[in-house]
Amino acid sequence: MQIQYQTQRLSMRFFMLMLVLFAAQVGFGLILAMQQTDPTLLAGVLNFNVVRAEHLNLGLLWILAGFIGAILFVGPLLSKRELAAPWLIKVLFYAFVATVIWNVATQALAMRGIAGWWEGQPWLQEGLEYLEAGRAADLVILVGFSILAYVVLRTFPPVREWNEIHWGLGIGVVALMAVWVFGLFYVPRLDMQEYFRWFVVHYWVEGVWEVIHISLVGFLLVLLFKVDVKSVGYAVFWGVVLVWLSGLLGNAHHYFWIGTPEFWQFWGSLFSALEPLPLVFCFWHIYLDAHQNRRPLENAPAFYFILGSVVLEQVGAGILGFSMTFALTNVWSHGTWVTPGHAHLALFGTFGMLGIAAAYYAVPIMRKATNFDQRLGKLAFWLVFTGILGVALAFALGGTVQIFVYRTLGLEWFGGDVFPAMGVFKLLVPTFGFVFAVGAGVLIFDLLTLGRRARAPVAPDARHGVAHAGEMAVHAGGVGGWSRYLTGFEAGIWLMAMWIFGAVITLGLLSFNLPRVREMGDPTLPYLLAWIGYPGLLLVTLLFVWRFLASMEARVAAPAAASAAAAIPAGAAVAAEV
Amino acid sequence: MSCANGKNCDETRKRRRALVALGIMMLIFIMLSGFSFLKSRNQITPDSVSFGPYKAADGKRVFQSYNCMGCHTMVGNGAYLGPDLTKEYERAGPAWLAAFLPSAGGWPTEAAVRTQLMNQDQIADTGVDSIEAYFKKYSGAQQRVERRGGGTSLMPNLPLSSEEVGQLIAYLKYTSALNTEGWPPKVKIEGLDRRLQLAHGTHAVAAAAPAAAAPAAGTVAPDPAARGEQLVKEYACGSCHALDDTRLVGPGWGGLSGSQVSLADGSTVKADDAYLAESIRQPNAKVVAGYPAGVMPAYDKLLKDEDVNAIVAYIHSLEKQ
Repeated sequence: MQIQYQTQRLSMRFFMLMLVLFAAQVGFGLILAMQQTDPTLLAGVLNFNVVRAEHLNLGLLWILAGFIGAILFVGPLLSKRELAAPWLIKVLFYAFVATVIWNVATQALAMRGIAGWWEGQPWLQEGLEYLEAGRAADLVILVGFSILAYVVLRTFPPVREWNEIHWGLGIGVVALMAVWVFGLFYVPRLDMQEYFRWFVVHYWVEGVWEVIHISLVGFLLVLLFKVDVKSVGYAVFWGVVLVWLSGLLGNAHHYFWIGTPEFWQFWGSLFSALEPLPLVFCFWHIYLDAHQNRRPLENAPAFYFILGSVVLEQVGAGILGFSMTFALTNVWSHGTWVTPGHAHLALFGTFGMLGIAAAYYAVPIMRKATNFDQRLGKLAFWLVFTGILGVALAFALGGTVQIFVYRTLGLEWFGGDVFPAMGVFKLLVPTFGFVFAVGAGVLIFDLLTLGRRARAPVAPDARHGVAHAGEMAVHAGGVGGWSRYLTGFEAGIWLMAMWIFGAVITLGLLSFNLPRVREMGDPTLPYLLAWIGYPGLLLVTLLFVWRFLASMEARVAAPAAASAAAAIPAGAAVAAEV
Repeated sequence: MSCANGKNCDETRKRRRALVALGIMMLIFIMLSGFSFLKSRNQITPDSVSFGPYKAADGKRVFQSYNCMGCHTMVGNGAYLGPDLTKEYERAGPAWLAAFLPSAGGWPTEAAVRTQLMNQDQIADTGVDSIEAYFKKYSGAQQRVERRGGGTSLMPNLPLSSEEVGQLIAYLKYTSALNTEGWPPKVKIEGLDRRLQLAHGTHAVAAAAPAAAAPAAGTVAPDPAARGEQLVKEYACGSCHALDDTRLVGPGWGGLSGSQVSLADGSTVKADDAYLAESIRQPNAKVVAGYPAGVMPAYDKLLKDEDVNAIVAYIHSLEKQ
């Protein structure tokens, strides 16, 4: 398999940039995790708020780098021609790098209270969560988004020839730019500032990124399984519509307590409860797409990360998001550690893993190393997957304790009352963070050096890393047992198990309203439900992904009937289908 | 759940309907947003709030300049390392905040809060002029002083100017007055002791009690330097002044007495007893080069002459380390 259009190679630099930024973001994350256990660490040198600003900003930036890389790689395939204005893409790249360096440097000014006020705008750094970048960087980013939108739209065929993926990506890149504009103004009122801040943050994530995500997952599945774009197109259209039907008014769940009127509690509770629908839909479709034809996986790491992306979207954004989206549960979870549990799974899981998946798909093709050793990639997947689930678990359980001590008991001394009570969970964050960081290190090393390492001749089996998995399957009773074919019924049972634990979590948050907890100070019920709900949900998630992948891996061990089909040059197949 | 090839699922009509529904949603959202910021809602705005000469609108800029949201939450949004600041003014009041903010690394003592109550802006804003009345009005301040006063906090010192401190207080006054629809939820469990016991168990509370009682001793020590040391603890001078020569918020005291000090106006003075006493009574009379004026409160009305002399004697006893 090789690339068909030379300009697809422009995606390579964005994937590499993504890896570098990812490494930096994980590094900052580890510092944060250690500062959570010892807040005096690096105090005065690199205060927590600066490190956090870097962690959030780099998180958004590397996800964007991954999106851009993926879009540039599939753009020509979707359009059956080279990218328009490749020089602009090079400009975009250097502007991106310059903005990142500038932004990382200016965040540290917060320690001295310098925001660079001029003409009523903070030009150097803004001090708003997720929108920490100063106006100078904001404007360059806006230009960058315009370049991306221009190149994508100029590359695409005329509108009447667009399929759903064209529509998804086309609307996605334009909306990416349009929504950003709401973050370009200083707002003097706190309530209004938060109102518009969520325009950017919520509508990016749940309006725009989700659309790009659905479109890219759809097209990557087309490429990986060589299915008909029409079958995915249906899922892409209804996925996008469901995202917007629920997400548009779902933004209301950010307007419960920021000084906006009470009626948002009704609308937010009602519509954001529907937000998991598109995610269930997407989840179901990845099952269908992966199991309709029984071809073996050619590029296991790419599929591992796509699956991780869709599953964590379901669990992190869907289920954990659902649990705290009602005014009666959000009143407790809001402003506590319970929320970063959801945010880490939703952001890294859904969007981060997609960028990594796209890199695992595209990089080997561009480096002409499609028979690369896939074991490192799989190992990295399991490490980051377990790591991020563990981090989320620590946040969620620590947050439950925090709710009780801080909100129910009203003890506001973090150093003396709240931290000691959260104790062990504070330590679990850096612990699982370390597992995650090792995984991130492995995958960054793997992708950076893939195709460049001194290559020992790889046996066809070892390249899938299943010589071993195959053996295990044989021991476990052939292709039966844990690695037998995953039926739709079984996948449904797994999904239901996740949602049952999700319901337990939701009830746990809801139980903070009971007089027994609020007035008598007995936390047994919320603690018990959290202790059943969170570990249960995350364990089922882990087992399900294991089960799903075992079933996929078993296909390699299955008779070679399918491998003849797989031998068709992928490019030809794609060209024929798109 | 999918429309297989060739099957007639009436997709076009379904898709058009979905888009119409989407349009209705957007309309609802726009209408709700419009209602949210109507004047008739009487939501407070920063331009109507001030603290003394300081405006809440300026305080919001200071709040963002220091990226306070990167450690704290405000209306519940931000990081979760420090407490939520929305109702902080209501809980602790402006004098506690004024005592805390310039030297955030240390928790204010009762005397430090009392010092702030000498300020006319504070008296005008709180409507009280005694510490007892202040504690009655802002129960959070009393609780903090009693439990943490004089200890070190987990927050780093920030280079806030006195103006910025006033503006931040004005901003926190605004956020306290913001109608947040009942969030954070009201605490319904009465009694601090009971709540501490529920959080930590009986044992932990019993152990913590004697430690808190220790610095309250008020007997007069005979030796001036020892008396000075006691006063320094009481007023939590150590929140800003290190006992060696390092800079916390103000200059360190180790080896200060008798040394040559360069002032902001370019001149140099010897830090003799008279200079040290003056700097305690009227800190803005001679400001050391490199330090902002107006951060330290004046102690002339609070400390008797013998107290000032005792503190000077204590500073005198501190060797350069």
